[in-house]
Amino acid sequence: MLDVDLHHGASTDVGLVRKVNEDSYLVAPPVFVVADGMGGHSGGDVASQMVVEEFERLAESYDPARGAELVADAFARAQARIVDYGDAHRAMQPGWHAGTTAVVAVLVVDDGTTKWLLANLGDSRIYRIVDGRLEQVSVDHSVVQELIDSGHITAEEASVHPERHVITRALGSPEGIHPDFFLLPIGSVERLLLCSDGVTGMIEDAEIEQILESVADPRDAADALVRAAVAAGGRDNATAVVVDVVGLVKDATYDSQRQLESLESKLGGRQ
Amino acid sequence: MRTEARFAPGDWYAVVGDSVTVLLPVSQRARVAALWDLADSGAAADALLDALLAGGLSSLDHFALVAHDDDATRLIVRGAPTATVSSTGGQEVVAAAPGTTWAEQVTTGVTSVRVTLAGEGSADHPLTAGVARVSVVEYGTPSTSAPATSSGASAGAPAADPRPEAAEAAADPGPEVAAAPRPEPAAPMQFGAPGDDDPTPTGETPVVEDDWSDRDGQTQAGAPRADFDRPPIPGQEVAPDVVPQPVASLVFSTGDVVAVDRTVLVGRAPEARRFASHDQPHVVTVPSPHQEISSTHLEIRPGAGADHGSAIATDLGSTNGTVVAQPGLDAEDLKPGIAVSLIPGAVLDLGDGVTIQVTNP
Repeated sequence: MLDVDLHHGASTDVGLVRKVNEDSYLVAPPVFVVADGMGGHSGGDVASQMVVEEFERLAESYDPARGAELVADAFARAQARIVDYGDAHRAMQPGWHAGTTAVVAVLVVDDGTTKWLLANLGDSRIYRIVDGRLEQVSVDHSVVQELIDSGHITAEEASVHPERHVITRALGSPEGIHPDFFLLPIGSVERLLLCSDGVTGMIEDAEIEQILESVADPRDAADALVRAAVAAGGRDNATAVVVDVVGLVKDATYDSQRQLESLESKLGGRQ
Repeated sequence: MRTEARFAPGDWYAVVGDSVTVLLPVSQRARVAALWDLADSGAAADALLDALLAGGLSSLDHFALVAHDDDATRLIVRGAPTATVSSTGGQEVVAAAPGTTWAEQVTTGVTSVRVTLAGEGSADHPLTAGVARVSVVEYGTPSTSAPATSSGASAGAPAADPRPEAAEAAADPGPEVAAAPRPEPAAPMQFGAPGDDDPTPTGETPVVEDDWSDRDGQTQAGAPRADFDRPPIPGQEVAPDVVPQPVASLVFSTGDVVAVDRTVLVGRAPEARRFASHDQPHVVTVPSPHQEISSTHLEIRPGAGADHGSAIATDLGSTNGTVVAQPGLDAEDLKPGIAVSLIPGAVLDLGDGVTIQVTNP
């Protein structure tokens, strides 16, 4: 695989209110991670960094044929480290906790073809641009998302719901971790965005779409997203990783045949 | 009285409006959303009571309702909950006597109310408007900062007592337990290093453990919310993720042969969503030069319940549909989203000349 060329950009900002940036990210193609830590200084920042370190290890000896298994292993190692770290602190400070969300994108080979394997724990998000439109791929592990799923509230009500910041799954949880996985054909992703809720909580999806559609360079797009989130108030740490699949011809057989016919008719060839 | 409220996590639902709180056991989950709608829109106690009773009393064995207005506190208790009311006039326990519909009481000059639903947890999580999972709810002045003056029984427990609940039980067996001193609130949560005063006005609060607390004073921790998981379709068992033995084999016209030991997704460019690492679906890409086949067109998975042991097929809302021909039956279109049990010999036609024959594994 990995005849696929990936261009990427990443940006992070502490925001205007918080003192510590507890977000961490990893860009180690074909492995991309954003983690949003919780627990304050030397808590959340350490937890999110532990996730990044475990995925760095994964990237060092990555086997795309075993993608799902390796990602699950990296999650398990990160979980074990964060729980140990929390236990060590709790011995001195009862009630101390650290945890982190994580969103992960890796390229895998499934059934002989290259695909995106995406994984999610918590309320950081994965979006894609498909057919020129923004679509949220991951489903938040949050109380309000569950209320939306069960039909109790609408997405609009969720943005002002009192429990909108309460997440139901995270690394560091003593209940164990249950990441959601997603497998997408590489041709169905024109551009991929991994971001923390410091981005999505500050700017609307329409603005995210506008930026991802209008800013060509993924480095500039990641910067623009984080700047927009900070400009909108910067109430939380904001992190964005943007990945473009470069040089991909979608559905080659169909398109090339049509293009050939169209070219021939324009050139007055076979009619 | 101050209407500052606190709770101990548990199974019960607390629907908390500005002045009215309704407490319901886990079996009454279906009523929670409608009540929250009302409570959030500022409905009065009577309106909430109306809505609560609209479904009939016979299915509502237990509930409690607490309403505060400027000078009086109204309490209704049915079934198991008990409430301890401390007021300038003394302390009372409100509980429904066996055989009665409910116990109701209006008290003025209330200093604190403790409603015990299950257990004797220490109510040290702040309860704000919204829905929470609780076992104990307390209103009013915390016993530690200002012990009720009227009753010795509500004086604060010794701060040093490491096991206030055990001490209570030993000292006050029986119904007096409800009137026993409230346990000391646990030490406040600490995040990060000592002296870390990160103001942190936003941020997530995992509810995965009871004492994961918030840092912004607005959100609140709760018990794990297994009950909020997406409910299964009524009358349908949840399908197993992966079965040890394939229930069928799928022979594709393209030459692929795929065993149905887990979910199989078929399409022009199929996408698999929200699976766990141990149940990754088989994703089968089929050619569709005329785009007759949708990107994720058809799902085939091992059946559960009545369909146990066979494969079931569901058209996932494809643009051009799926035709199924079962042996001895007329060919028919699959209805989007409706699972059909497949018998060996069945043939599925997805369009663009792609067919799938179902055989024994």
